[in-house]
Amino acid sequence: MIRLILIRLLTFGPTVIVASMVLFVAVNVVPGSASKAALGIYATPQAVKRFEHQHGLDRPLVIQYIEWAGKALRGNFGMSFQNAVAVGPEVKKRLPVTLQLAGMAFLIAVGLAISLGALAGFYHQRLPDVCITTIATLFGSVPNFWLATLLIYLFSLHLGWLPTGGFVPYSEDLVANLRGMILPSIALGVVSSGLLIRIMRTSLIEVMSAHFIETAQSKGISNFKLVIGHALRNALIPFLTVSAVEFGFLVGGVVILEDVFRIPGIGSLVLVGIINRDYPVLLAAAMVITMIVLVTNLLVDLLATIIDPRQVRARN
Amino acid sequence: MGRINWRKYGLLIFSLPVVVILFCASAFSSLLAPYDPYYLDVMYMLEGPSSGHLFGTDELGRDVLSRTIYASQISIVVGLIAVAIGMTGGTVIGVTAAYFGGLIDNLLMRLMDILFSFPAILLAVILMANLGTSILNAMLAIGIIFIPGFARLTRAVTQTVQRQQYLEAAICIGVSGPRLIWREILPNVFGPVVVEAAVAFSYAVLLESALSFLGLGAQPPEPSWGNMINTGRGFIEQAPWISFAPGMALFLCVFSFNILGDGLRDLLDPKLNK
Repeated sequence: MIRLILIRLLTFGPTVIVASMVLFVAVNVVPGSASKAALGIYATPQAVKRFEHQHGLDRPLVIQYIEWAGKALRGNFGMSFQNAVAVGPEVKKRLPVTLQLAGMAFLIAVGLAISLGALAGFYHQRLPDVCITTIATLFGSVPNFWLATLLIYLFSLHLGWLPTGGFVPYSEDLVANLRGMILPSIALGVVSSGLLIRIMRTSLIEVMSAHFIETAQSKGISNFKLVIGHALRNALIPFLTVSAVEFGFLVGGVVILEDVFRIPGIGSLVLVGIINRDYPVLLAAAMVITMIVLVTNLLVDLLATIIDPRQVRARN
Repeated sequence: MGRINWRKYGLLIFSLPVVVILFCASAFSSLLAPYDPYYLDVMYMLEGPSSGHLFGTDELGRDVLSRTIYASQISIVVGLIAVAIGMTGGTVIGVTAAYFGGLIDNLLMRLMDILFSFPAILLAVILMANLGTSILNAMLAIGIIFIPGFARLTRAVTQTVQRQQYLEAAICIGVSGPRLIWREILPNVFGPVVVEAAVAFSYAVLLESALSFLGLGAQPPEPSWGNMINTGRGFIEQAPWISFAPGMALFLCVFSFNILGDGLRDLLDPKLNK
């Protein structure tokens, strides 16, 4: 087990490095586009040259990457092209907002998945199963931005229960903060629950056919106790690993939903970076989102190894 | 006899009509759409649904139904080409990795793992910002995102085939490498790849709409479900119907292709349908 954990920890560094290289290349794939974007298409060649020299863009990409990565390791993401403000503090300010949104959405997704998935798994191939499986596919197929639009129409404009968007820090007003976060979390969480419900269902069906379940049944314990006390606990382990991967997908969704609900998080920073063609901002925001995904995957892999080393060994 | 086996074909029976309607809508848009999707009628701006305009008109007086029908063209084309790119790239990488094994396998698949761990929409958004906003680039960006998924799948299938006796027999009688891949491995890869393609198609349509919604895909006035929903969002209070029709079309499209994928999986791989 310790060997598995060590291998996973040792490969994490190279993974992060390659991921950051991929992002760096993806952002810089068209040479000269940064300066053109920052200065406009009517910029003189001299101005472009000066700009590129000033920001070090005239050097080879490898050198640029090493310099960027070295600074980024220390939390320095360079200066914004747009307003010459340091990007690092801006990212730090926005990160908790995104984490809160993603965390709340994830709780909704996991809550829906465990309850509905276990129900469907228990009633395998009976009416509740068919209904829940259909609902899961429906959930998984809804475009999150359309769901967000519908939710705003219904709960904000029609019923007037919740704000249409905007953000209040929880340190200022917790109730207002939660009220603003409910709709985006639902829009984000419901879509992710689609896959998770199915995973939970399959996982429970598998566990229900195990011998220890038969033993428990023959002892005559109630169905409720059987599922909660025996089956669910064992079904949760494979579910956990998949839910971590789904969390990564969910974190990507903040790029869209923060825009729809005007939430000042990392996701909207990605769009700010793109609209202003502000590559240091874009790169920093994208890297932070990617790190959230990589770190969650690492943590869950480690957790899964500690809980049940057989699973991980079987996977490799 | 004579009864339909619902458990086996139920999902296909439900999804195929929707899929056919979708392809027809995009192929015969000009015949099916009641109006020109670009025709501005300032007399009928933001009109609610009526017998003249079934799904109402948008902020420039254009017929929402006609635009929704025309928008299916972009979704279908982007979906098809993106899936083709992902399928080809992924199959080449997956089969190569499994066929050569060792270091090549390790390097290729680790890279695929890393690409796979990026949130798709993030990668799509970054690629679009860089390549420039056009439908062609959207296809390319979405196609690249699909490569790791297809690569993982084809690698796994190829490895299973490699353990079969008939492959050993083929090697023994001296079948050459390329012929081995073409005649023995690829036919086995086909089934699982088709299932994956159906699901990937639904995801491609979703991603294209998301890009257009953010203003990074199809550019107005060209109608796309994504940019129509985005426009409708601005008029949600006065005219909720602008975003309703394209949203519903997108939702139905994604849903039926997901169901189609499930149905094909049941049909092609009975082992999974326990």
